[in-house]
Amino acid sequence: MTSPQGVRAQGVGASLLRKEDARFLHGRGRYVADITLPGMLEVAFLRSPVAHARLLGMTKPEGAAERVFTFADLDGVGHIRAVSGLPGFRISEQPVLATDKLRHVGEAIAACVAPSRACAEDLVAACVLDYEELPVVSDMLSAGLPGTALVHEHWSQNAFLETTRQDDLSELDAIAAAKVTRRLRTSRQCMAPLEGRGVLVEWDPRLEQLIVTTSTQMPHVSRTGLAEILGLDEGQVRVIAPDVGGGFGYKGILLPEEVVCAHLAIRLGRPVRWIEDRLEHLTANANCREHHYIVTAWADAGGRLLGAEVDATVDAGAYSSYPFGACLEAAQIGSIFPGPYTLPKFSFRTVSACTNKPPILPYRGVARTGVCYALETTMDALARKLGISATAIRLANLVPPEAMPYRNLVGKVFDSGDYPEALRRAMASVDLAGIRARQAAGECVGFGLAVFCEQGAHGTSVYAGWGVPIVPGFEQATARFSPDGVLEIRTGVHSHGQGMETTLAQVAHEVLGVETARVRVVHGDTALTPYSTGTWGSRGAVMAGGAVAEACRLLGERALAIGAALLQAEPGAVELSGGAIRRRDGGAAVTLAEIARTWYRQPQNLARDVDKGGLEVIAGYRPDPDTGTHSYACHAVTLRVDRDTGEVAIEDYLVVEDGGTLLNPMIVDGQVLGGVAQGIGTALYEEMPFDAAGQPLAGSLADYLLPGATEVPDIRLDHMETPSPWTRFGQKGIGESGAIGPPAAIVNAINDALHRFGAEVLDLPATPARVLAALEAAR
Amino acid sequence: MNRSAISLTVNGAATTLEAEPRTHLADLLRGGMLLTGTHLGCEHGVCGACTVELDGAPARSCITHAGACDGASVRTIEGFAEDAVMAALRAAFTAEHALQCGYCTPGMLITARDVVLRLPEADEARVREEMAGNLCRCTGYRGIVRAVLRVLEQRRSAAAVA
Repeated sequence: MTSPQGVRAQGVGASLLRKEDARFLHGRGRYVADITLPGMLEVAFLRSPVAHARLLGMTKPEGAAERVFTFADLDGVGHIRAVSGLPGFRISEQPVLATDKLRHVGEAIAACVAPSRACAEDLVAACVLDYEELPVVSDMLSAGLPGTALVHEHWSQNAFLETTRQDDLSELDAIAAAKVTRRLRTSRQCMAPLEGRGVLVEWDPRLEQLIVTTSTQMPHVSRTGLAEILGLDEGQVRVIAPDVGGGFGYKGILLPEEVVCAHLAIRLGRPVRWIEDRLEHLTANANCREHHYIVTAWADAGGRLLGAEVDATVDAGAYSSYPFGACLEAAQIGSIFPGPYTLPKFSFRTVSACTNKPPILPYRGVARTGVCYALETTMDALARKLGISATAIRLANLVPPEAMPYRNLVGKVFDSGDYPEALRRAMASVDLAGIRARQAAGECVGFGLAVFCEQGAHGTSVYAGWGVPIVPGFEQATARFSPDGVLEIRTGVHSHGQGMETTLAQVAHEVLGVETARVRVVHGDTALTPYSTGTWGSRGAVMAGGAVAEACRLLGERALAIGAALLQAEPGAVELSGGAIRRRDGGAAVTLAEIARTWYRQPQNLARDVDKGGLEVIAGYRPDPDTGTHSYACHAVTLRVDRDTGEVAIEDYLVVEDGGTLLNPMIVDGQVLGGVAQGIGTALYEEMPFDAAGQPLAGSLADYLLPGATEVPDIRLDHMETPSPWTRFGQKGIGESGAIGPPAAIVNAINDALHRFGAEVLDLPATPARVLAALEAAR
Repeated sequence: MNRSAISLTVNGAATTLEAEPRTHLADLLRGGMLLTGTHLGCEHGVCGACTVELDGAPARSCITHAGACDGASVRTIEGFAEDAVMAALRAAFTAEHALQCGYCTPGMLITARDVVLRLPEADEARVREEMAGNLCRCTGYRGIVRAVLRVLEQRRSAAAVA
């Protein structure tokens, strides 16, 4: 609603303060670990101490046969299978507790059950494991070599999938003014939401239903997966996602631990709970990323790209996780690599390598962060070789606004925007001449850029092509009035920091005019909400926002018909505005609350031909086309490198971004800022190293370094707002954007600083040790 | 395992609880007293989500032995209802969008309150340094830092008027 001053107070575009804040500020958030039930048992898992072994047996502690469960004890429980429809995909079967083989450190072998977690851990410590070690596949680059041990012995090689594309690049050497080749690597990371995973399951004998309270981003998908593996019908599984302490992709998968706890709750007839601790999180479960690239690119003298060739390997770990699978990162590299540019020729080979490491899981930015790093550092290398600026080479290749909507050579369709303008705005806000002057004076400072676009909210047509177990269709939402006139919105996505209890209320207010204080957004419960694939892929604002708007529009039509009858007017003579149905001639009005009271409590006043559907509507929404929105951004970084210690200090971090119409600018800012902080972690700090035996080497947050308030600068944000032509309000998915650009921009800035010393950083994170090694190598 | 009695004052009320010797303070508060606003993030004393006020100063309840708290006074996020500084911080956290998932928020607020009371002249750099022991994975810290600075500024203005 637009107020008389033209200020959008509560609707789309308002920076409305969050409705959900109050409970969190008072410590009244309710996360899985906060919930206990009478008779509840806690689970601790016996986990594999080695990366690859034949499991010969496990001796349960004396007298604990009924409290320790191995796979052999789980009757009727299937394996987790996440099969990709892409041709050539090799299928892994992930047992929820190990069967004959151990395939990564931390793989669950047995579930130990006790009244407290501490006592359950005592049981774990008393189990005796018997295994025979096998050669470990710890390096993704040599995993496919002949003679290497096989992680899955019925496979012909250690790879889930290989994808290729071949353009004729043979003439480029002859015609290019510059050619560069770079070998680049990103580390294995852990998503590290502050709350780990956790699940509490009880069996309701009256309903014959499992009630699974779990820390998930996708309750409906978890329900489908659980039902399939447990052999239940979906009506027998209710999944509740309560408050969730950050997700970032990690809570967008079904965990073996959830399946085991569900089975045990049925079997034991008591509530069963498992709360992941940080050691489990880091070493057994929350692994992501780890890319290796060999990139070659050719450009003409003006910096125009002539072609690129990419050989990419992703360490996908031991299993394909449900639902997104083992190829989520590698198989996307080919389609994402052209970036925001008009690349004319492109060849690639990607490999999803299978190793003795925990399965690779989605993390904010999925594949894009690594690809942006590979592409944008290569762009800078080309620019340096050509002797042109980082700005010039990008302006020579960015998709121009007049080409929108633009289909690139691999078939991605960019919806709208002015990519070059984002770069120009960034450069106008940076004192590059001052940085160059400091460099000339001998200071080790650098400036770096990353320009990228992010496909978000892509739908059926895209995911059907991947053949993943879940293909998002029409996103649905329910809108209904309760008898007191409060508007209730029910959505199948889940909000775990994104502020959707606020933004979806704003969408409802925009359409129906109901005060946001009188809009309740219900989410996170399969029993209360319509099916949705959940919150991932930067889809919430576009998909749930669109669905809520559509449901409210239809609800408004129902209310209008009732209101017209109450006003004794023809429907055409009334309109919905300001939360009431009003006569267009300025006469009488009836509020939506009065209409609700009439429908539920005074039906004698309804017209005889009233729509019997009443004041509850479920509606579906899908953008057309559904190839996704493309938000885009330019990240511009100024930093200092200490040549003695290798330490990097960010002086200025600027983001110019375009998320289309912003439903709530404050919340979008928060998403971008939080993403950038995570990207800074990827760029400089976060690394889960493994030794040659496949042992993870960072077991606590003292080893796995997350950026704190002293590492993340006061990031500057500048918005452009180019509406997407394909979405309800012009909004674009932007939730992951912030995490994509930082490694590229930061390493480009580091290399800008080190260039004069002949040094170049190639691997992430750019830790002091790696910066010093780069300087040393150049000596 | 043996359980021993621990007497302590929690949020102003004297109480005695039984706990195993290995119990840490966070589990005692969350389990025995249902004070679930104290969150566990790392159980290594790194992330700060479990920060409570122990005898007037912030402490990591995940690495504080419950048994060592016999006779101590503990205040958790649930114990600041009447506290004006906490009220100002809560308002500032909302206004500056200093929280998203809410998991770090209780520990963040307790640390922030200590900073506000102990360092009334703190500038942005000092606030960042003081808050560096509390990790947030959602916000990028800008809102948190601005919220603390906002309350510091309010208090300096109020003091100047007085």
